[in-house]
This record gives sequence, structure tokens and C-alpha cells, in this order.
Amino acid sequence: MSGFLVKRILQMLLALFGVSIVVFALMHLVPGDPVRVALGTRFDQDLYDALRERAGLDQPLIQQYLSWLGGVLTGDLGVSFRNGQPVTTLILERLPATITLALAALFIALVVALPAGIISAVRSGSGLDYTVSAASQVGISMPDFWAGVMYILIFSLTLGWLPSSGYSPLSEGVVEWARHLILPALTIGLISGSIITRFVRSAVLEALNQDYVLTARAKGLSEWQIVRRHVLPNAWIPIVTVVGLQLGFLLGGVVVTEVIFAWPGLGRLALTAVKDRDFTVLQGAVLYIAFMFLAINLIVDIIYARLDPRVRVS
Amino acid sequence: MRKAKTRWRITILLLALALAAAACSEGESVDVGEETTTTTTAATTETTAAPEGTTEAPAETTAAPAPAEAVLIAAQGSEPDQLDPHMTSAYASFQVLENVYDTLVQPAADLSMEPALAESWEISDDNLTWTFTLRSGVKFHNGRDLVAQDVVYSFERIIAEGLNGWRFGAVDTISAPDDATVVMTLTQPSPNLLVSIAGFKGMAIIPEEIVTDGSIGTSPVGTGPFRFVSQSPDQGIVLEKNPDYWRAGEGLPKLDGIQFVQIPDAGTKLTALRTGEVHWIDTVPPQDIESLSGEDGVTVGRVPGGDYHYFALNQNLPPFDDVRVRQAIAHAINREEIAEAAQFGAATANQAAIPASNAAWYLDYAPFGSGDAATAQGLLDEAGVSGLTIDFLVSSDFPETVTQAQVISAELAAVGITVEITDVDFTTWLDMQGNGEFGAFMLSWIGNIDPDDFYYAQHHSDGGFNFQGYSNPDVDALLDGARVETDQAARKALYDQAAQLIVDDASYIYLYNPDNINAWRNEVSGYATRGDNAIRFVEASLG
Amino acid sequence: MSDQAPATDDRLAAKPVSRTRETIQTLMANRLAVAGLVVLTILVFVGIFGEAIAPYGINDIDIPKRLTGPSSDHWFGTDELGRDVFSRVIVAARVSLQVGFIAVGFALVVGVPIGLISGYYRGGVDSFLMRMMDVLFSFPAILLAIAILAVLGPGVGNAMIAIGLVYTPIFARITRGSVLVVSEEVYIRAARSLGAGDRRIIFRHILPNVMAPIIVQTTLSLAFAILSEAALSFLGLGVQPPNPAWGRMLAEGRNFFEQAPWMGIFPGLAILFTVMSFNFVGDGLRDALDPKQKSVIESRGQSA
Repeated sequence: MSGFLVKRILQMLLALFGVSIVVFALMHLVPGDPVRVALGTRFDQDLYDALRERAGLDQPLIQQYLSWLGGVLTGDLGVSFRNGQPVTTLILERLPATITLALAALFIALVVALPAGIISAVRSGSGLDYTVSAASQVGISMPDFWAGVMYILIFSLTLGWLPSSGYSPLSEGVVEWARHLILPALTIGLISGSIITRFVRSAVLEALNQDYVLTARAKGLSEWQIVRRHVLPNAWIPIVTVVGLQLGFLLGGVVVTEVIFAWPGLGRLALTAVKDRDFTVLQGAVLYIAFMFLAINLIVDIIYARLDPRVRVS
Repeated sequence: MRKAKTRWRITILLLALALAAAACSEGESVDVGEETTTTTTAATTETTAAPEGTTEAPAETTAAPAPAEAVLIAAQGSEPDQLDPHMTSAYASFQVLENVYDTLVQPAADLSMEPALAESWEISDDNLTWTFTLRSGVKFHNGRDLVAQDVVYSFERIIAEGLNGWRFGAVDTISAPDDATVVMTLTQPSPNLLVSIAGFKGMAIIPEEIVTDGSIGTSPVGTGPFRFVSQSPDQGIVLEKNPDYWRAGEGLPKLDGIQFVQIPDAGTKLTALRTGEVHWIDTVPPQDIESLSGEDGVTVGRVPGGDYHYFALNQNLPPFDDVRVRQAIAHAINREEIAEAAQFGAATANQAAIPASNAAWYLDYAPFGSGDAATAQGLLDEAGVSGLTIDFLVSSDFPETVTQAQVISAELAAVGITVEITDVDFTTWLDMQGNGEFGAFMLSWIGNIDPDDFYYAQHHSDGGFNFQGYSNPDVDALLDGARVETDQAARKALYDQAAQLIVDDASYIYLYNPDNINAWRNEVSGYATRGDNAIRFVEASLG
Repeated sequence: MSDQAPATDDRLAAKPVSRTRETIQTLMANRLAVAGLVVLTILVFVGIFGEAIAPYGINDIDIPKRLTGPSSDHWFGTDELGRDVFSRVIVAARVSLQVGFIAVGFALVVGVPIGLISGYYRGGVDSFLMRMMDVLFSFPAILLAIAILAVLGPGVGNAMIAIGLVYTPIFARITRGSVLVVSEEVYIRAARSLGAGDRRIIFRHILPNVMAPIIVQTTLSLAFAILSEAALSFLGLGVQPPNPAWGRMLAEGRNFFEQAPWMGIFPGLAILFTVMSFNFVGDGLRDALDPKQKSVIESRGQSA
């Protein structure tokens, strides 16, 4: 087990190292740089060169990368080119909103997906199954920006029940917190839920077709007893995996939904950083997002390994 | 069965772990929150001393997280990049900084220059020495008195490292003979000096100490009506009333504070105004202006602005070096149609740059047709050009440019010109423009006041914005001459001649002047949309 | 219905031809999959002959007639520039399908060989390739696409590459996983002991036997790729105007939701039908080819 863990963590670090190279290279390949952005429409070569020098952008790329990497290894992600704020601060101050939205969305997704997936698997081929399937197709086909705009028009503008934008920290009161959270969480939650529903259905369906289920049926157990005692415990692994994946990228921020709802999450931070070529911020944000993603996957794999020793081998 | 139980246990454990992780991060947020909470509570205690009139505010703005004081919530469409006035070029930053900083003088509502930090100024007979007398008793938000040395320091900083050093092109020396006097000597007469050195908050007067301690980019300290309190992703930028403001004697500012929130999606921003979540929004999508104007509870502020939309052909690239080709394109487009398509009527087509609302400098000049395909075709034939393709550079960060390019594409198809649209993010746009990688580029200029701002940098052979590669010695001479001409009428005559040449040569192909538009809840009074796009809440009040 | 389909020893014996026939028969018995196939066939037809079918040109601007509702002249109404939404939806089919096919094609062409090599040779090559795939996989998908588009420049072709790159690690992982399993089968060991070359083993014996999960993943990815174009368009990237693509139309239509809902609803429905069809066919194929296969990684597609 510990050997497996060490190996997986090493792999994760390697991947993060790779991510750091890719994001660094990509950003420096993109036309434009933070100095160009700061200068705006005016272009003055002398001023441009002077500002680049001050920002350290005139150094050879390798050197820039190494000095940034050196900082990362000592826990310093550098400062934003845009406003001189430490990147770590910029990421940390967006974490509460990001994590809140991710967990809320996942909660909605699971509340929808678990019952819907199980029922449609158990009643496979029924009208109910088709209804669930159609609904999940609509959920998957619906771009998040479209769903978000519709919710805003219905629940904010027409009904006036919920605010259209922004985030209210829990410290400002649980009611405001929840009111701001509902629409963005619903937007992603239902989409995620649609995807997870398909998984739950197929995992349960597969478990239902195992021999021990036939045995259990032969023993005269009721369908729901079978599901609860035999099917769910076995369907659990693939479900945990897909939920882990979903959580992994929800925690990385959801760019489009954050833009629509003016949600102060990581996705918007990263998007602005791309647009403004704020290299350090984007590098830091991507590194963090990749870390989250890999860490959650690792945790899922560990659960896996605990559940099924064979995984360690493969 | 036993195994199944283990699985459940692990799952529960995991869930707990996730929740714990979330709780930790929530904990951090509480810390941050407490800071802001304490400041707001402190502020609330201040206002509880004078409770009249403040109690009604929360009832009207149902969803707004406003405390029980007159805090105006202003929504901006983009995020300020940084708050150093000398180092930013972002309009979102200036929306905020307008209310924090002052300039030596400032544009009045009619865009003439009026006293601000300088109470008065004198010009020597040779027009080469300007002496400014500072207002007395002006304090920075950190409590220190403003002295003339601060003006000298600010200007020297702008010249040495700011983005607007070029505005001091005519300035030779800046000095502070005493605490209340600033003297500037010039190398040549400069009738538009006031606009150059104080036309917008990029020329703000700052205290040196916030540069020394490095806080200028994140917590600005000015002399303006509002003090910076905090900036966070959750709350946006919070400003509070400056009780020591130099117009405090007039009861200004009236608001207790301003909260600038950032709502990147234009549709959501509009909804937030309509539902009363915010009091003010910086723009209204053109297609919504009409319906919003008729809506109860909302006021749409709309004035003809000093902005103009244009596109420019790359004159370093044949056949656009041929003036007939440029003129053909100027004839073939239909400016009224373009303005209507992009701005839904909230604009005035114009073949020149300066809008009619800028009465002092307006020139009524329209040599081109409107969708005149016959004339255009004639000119193209004369130039021997056919099957022309224009690589047209636009940016979806300015969506109207994308719309306009599509309309122009359809209009130019009538004379056999193909328009290939390249739609990139604005940073790439800047880069491509700087490198000359375009057949044509399209953008707008905002907030110009003096004709020098309209023409010099864009059309002088040595101009800093002359990316289209225009060079006409007559225009250069006229623009240079107008820069030093102190007689208003003579100066106007020079600019009129220059403008006609620029339009005739189609250096820029001007399209229209859009209206400046903000919108606000009816509770807001004392705010007016301005022709120079400056966002001033100094006289605004709520309730 | 198809739960008793091929087990491992089947595979050893199966001739490719009879398996294909069996697959098609199973697929044809699935009414949803057939419906999906019909819709897709129509779409491909529309994609090819779009301009000929469309009653108006895609850039026929008519400002006075802007934002008018559906009528006999304009079945789906007009957009903010007075262009015919119906014609644009029709012509956009080509771009949207192209985005799907080429992006996923790219992912297939790059990802499958990586998975094959990785799974077959294992060891150092495997570690290296899989770490590379990890890098791509853990990179936030939409940011990766945006960054790639920024580097390559905008345009539908580059958008396809960007989306394709995002999907590459999915195909590599799925292929590798299947190869690992298949390589242990008796017939592969037999082929190896008979002295067959690596290339022959990979292409003759392994590839055909790992096709099922790849095909299923392909159809599902096609659906997600079309949605990715919508997300990129929302952020102002992707297809260049005035060329229409469903995602771009939907993104533009959201600004006119109150004045002209038809601007978004019709391209939205087009996306819905297409995505549904791909998913139905994908589900059908999954059942027909290999009921045991579940593509955990398909969930990843959402983020791009």
C-alpha cells in the first residue's frame, strides 16, 4: 500500500511538473504580454522595453521559468503582473467561493443523479427509464451559459426570488449565502447530475446482471432489498470514480458559470489572467487546479485500492 | 456483506474529509470576512449617530447587501486591473479612481477645464510659463496636507515611468517655489496644456509615501471625495466618504460610500439593475436601451459623447497605400446602417471624428457617399483594383466591432471586396496592431476633449498611435502649428484644415459618435452621465 | 437485451465479419439508436448541401427586418442583423459537425496510437507517455483550449485542434486500459510465441479487439465536442464571424433572450438533437459491442 502511494504521489508530482512547463510555454507563446496590456492602445517601443525590463520579462525564458519554479518549490507563487498582489493570496481569497460552489453543485448533482439513475436502472426499459434518459440528455446538451441565463430570467427577474449575481460569504449570514448560491449551483449541478445519472444507471444495471443478484432473486428477496444489499455496494466503485472526476474539475472553477453569475471563483481569475497575459497568476492557478484534480483522483484510487486489491497491480 | 460495510464507512469518512476541507477554507473566509465586517460595523456606528433618512434605504433595495447607510452599489462590466492611476490604462480602474483622486484642474460638465486642486492659474505673456496656485486646506486621505511638491512629484513620476509621460511633451520644467505654487515652463506655447496634464485621472496627484511603501496599486490614497477601504473578490471595491474632502463645505460627498462590484456578463449586469441588486451600471447593451428607458424605477442617462468609432486601412500594405482604394471603401460603406446595427440608434453617423456636441471644435464635413457603390466602383476601377480581400482585425472584447465588421463585410461585397474577419482577444489585437499584422483594424477612441487628442497621435507621421502608417506633410505641419497656436479661432481653422485632409485621405474611416450611456435606479439623484465618460459620484445621493 | 454478448473466449474465436454483422443487428434492434442514426444521416446531408437548401445567404444583412419573429418568410425568425436564422442554422450544421468530427478525429489519431504503444510496450515508454497524458488531462480543459487558441490564432480549424487536444488523453487512457487487458489474452501470447512481429500483433490482433470502447467513446466525445464549441464561442473564441456555428449562434442569442428568443432556441434545439443522437447511437453501440464497457472518462468531457 505505501509503495503504491509513494509511486502515485511521485507520478502526481511529475505530472504537475509537466503542467508547469506546459502552462509556462503556452503563455509565453501566446501573442502579447502583460506589458502590452498595461500600455493599452498606445505603443511606445522605449516605454515597452523599459517596462518589460522592470517586470523581468527581458530575461531568457529558461531563466524566467527556473526562477519561477524555484519560487514555487519554496511555496512562493510570485506576484501578479497586473497589480503586484501575491498569487497565493489571489488564489486563496477565491477558494471559499470556489469550494462552496463545487460542493453545492455536487450535492445537487448527487441528489438528482442517485435516485434517478438507480430507479431508471431498476425499471430499465420502462417509461420512467425513458423519461429519465431524455431529461439527462437535455441536461447534457444544455450549455451552461444558456441554462444560467434562463434561471436568471426566471428566478431573478420575473419571480424576484433570488439574486442574479455575486457571492455572499457564510459569515454574512446563511440565508444570503444560500440565496446567492442556489442559481449557479443549480446551473452546474443539473448538468453534472445528468452526466452522473448515466453512470449510476449503467453501473447499477451491470451489478443487477451479476449472478449473485439472480441468486438473491431466487431467494425471494424484494427488488429494493436486492438493490440495497447487493447492487449498490457493488455499483459504488464506478460511481465514486465519476464523482471524484466531477469534483476534481468543479474545484478547479467553472469558467462560464462564474462569468454569468459574477461568481468570484478561480475560473474567472484564470480567465482574466489568460486575457491579460498575467503569466504568474495563470501559472499559479493552473498548477493549483491540476493539483486539485490529481489529488482527488489519487484519493479515489486509494479508496479503490482499499476496496479492490487488484487495482494496485494494474 | 462485511466488505460492503467497509465501503460505506470509507465513503462517509471521505465525505467528512471533504466537509472538513471545506470548513477549513470557510474558516479562512471568515477571517477575511471579519476584517470587512469590523470596518462596516465601525462605519455603521458612525452613521447611527445620525439615523434620519438612512432607515429607508434597505427596504428599497431588497436584495442588495447594503448596510443601513447610503452606500451606492455600482456595477462595472470589467475588473480594474490595478489601482495605480499612473500605471493603468483600464477604464474600469478609472471608474473607481475618478472618485478617489483629483487632478490639478478637471473637465467640467461642459468639458471646459475648471479649477480642482489648483484654485487658479496664470499664463505668462510669452505663453511659456504657467503658474498654478493650489487650493489651501486640501488633505490626502491619510491626513497629510497637499503641498505643491506633491504635484511636482506626481508629474515627475508620470514622466519617468507612467504611461502618460508623452502628455508632457511641451513641458520643460516643473517646480514648487512654495507649498502652494506650482510653476511649469514650456518649450513652446501649449494652448491645450490643461487638457493634457489634467484631462483625466491618469494624471492624478498622489502622495509619494504610497509609492515608497508600494501600496499604490492596491490601496490608493488620494484627495478625492471618497476614500479607499478595501478590495476583495467577494465585495468588489469599497469606498467610503472622505469627511475632509475639499468640497465638504458644500455638503459633498453626499453618499456614505460606494461599492463597486464587477459583473462581467452584460445581461446579468442589466438584470441586477432591474431587480435592484445594484444602483448603477456602467453600460447598457444597445439592444436593451429602448426597453430599459421605458421601465419604471430606472433612469437611463444618455448624452452624446466625445467617443468615435472608426476603422483604418493598413497603408503600408498595397493596395491600401492608394488613396483611391481607401476612398472607395469610405464611399461604399453606409455609416447610418452600421451605427443602427451596432448601437440600435444610440449613435450619430459622422464622417469626421469630433461630434457635434463638442461645439467648440466640431466640423461639419461629409465628402463621402453612403453606400455609394457606383462611386466606389469607379474609384476602384481607376486604381485598377479588383478582387480585393481585406483582413479585418476586430476583438470580441469589444463586441460592437465584431457586429460592425459583419455589416461592413456585407456592404463591401457590393463592390466585389471580400472582408475576412479576424476576431481575437484584445491583447492579441494589440499585439497584431503593433506588429502591423492587419489589412484593417477597427476600434473606438473614448473620452477625448481637445482636437489635439483627436488627431495628433493618430495621424501625425510621428504619432504614437499611427499604426495605419499615414503620412501627409501638410497634415503634420497643420497639427504642429495648431499645437502652439494660442488664438482659439486660428487654432480651430488649422484643425479644420487638418481634419478635412485626414478625412479626404481616409487615414481613418470614421463611422459614428456613440452616445455615452449609464443607467441607475431612480433612488439615485445628483448623478449625470458625462460626455467624457468620467464616472463621478461626488454629488450623487441615495433615497 | 444484449447482456449475453461476447465474452472473452468469443473474442478469441470471433471472425471480424460475423462480429460486425452481429453488432449491426443488435444496434438495429435498438429503436433509439436507429432514431439517432436517422437524425445524424439527415444532419450530414444538411451539412453537405447546406447552402443549397438554405433559402437565404448566411450574411444577408437586412437591418430594418432585424429581430422579427418566425414567419412564413423566415421560419426561425431573424437575428440582430436581420439575417435568416433558419438559413444560418442549416449552414451551421456543417461547421458544428466538422468541429465534432475533426476534433474527435484528431483525438483518435493521436490518442489511440499513444494508448496502443503505451499499453503494449509498457515500462518506461508507458510511464513517459502516460505522464504526458496526465499533464494534458489534469490541465483545466477550457483553459487549455483557450490558451491553445490564443497561441494558434482564432478560427474554426484551430478550435478543432484545441478541442481535439483536450480529448486526446481520454482516448489514450481508454485504449491503453483495453490493451493491457487484451495483451494478457491467450491468443496474443500465442501469436507472440509463434514469432509474430510487434506491428502485426498490434494491428492484427490487439487493435480490432480494443475497438469497442474506442468507438463508444468516439460517439460520446462527438457530442461533447459540439458543446465545447459553444463554450468557446461564449468566451469569444472559436468560429470566426460571419460564419455561423450553433454554439456561436446560441452564445449571441443569449443577449437577445428577451427580445428574440428564437435566436437562441433554434440553434439550441439543433445542438440538443445532435447531441442526443450521438448519445443514443453511442449507447446503442456500447450495448451492441460490449456491455461491460463503461466509459468513466466520458464524464470528463463536460468541462470543455
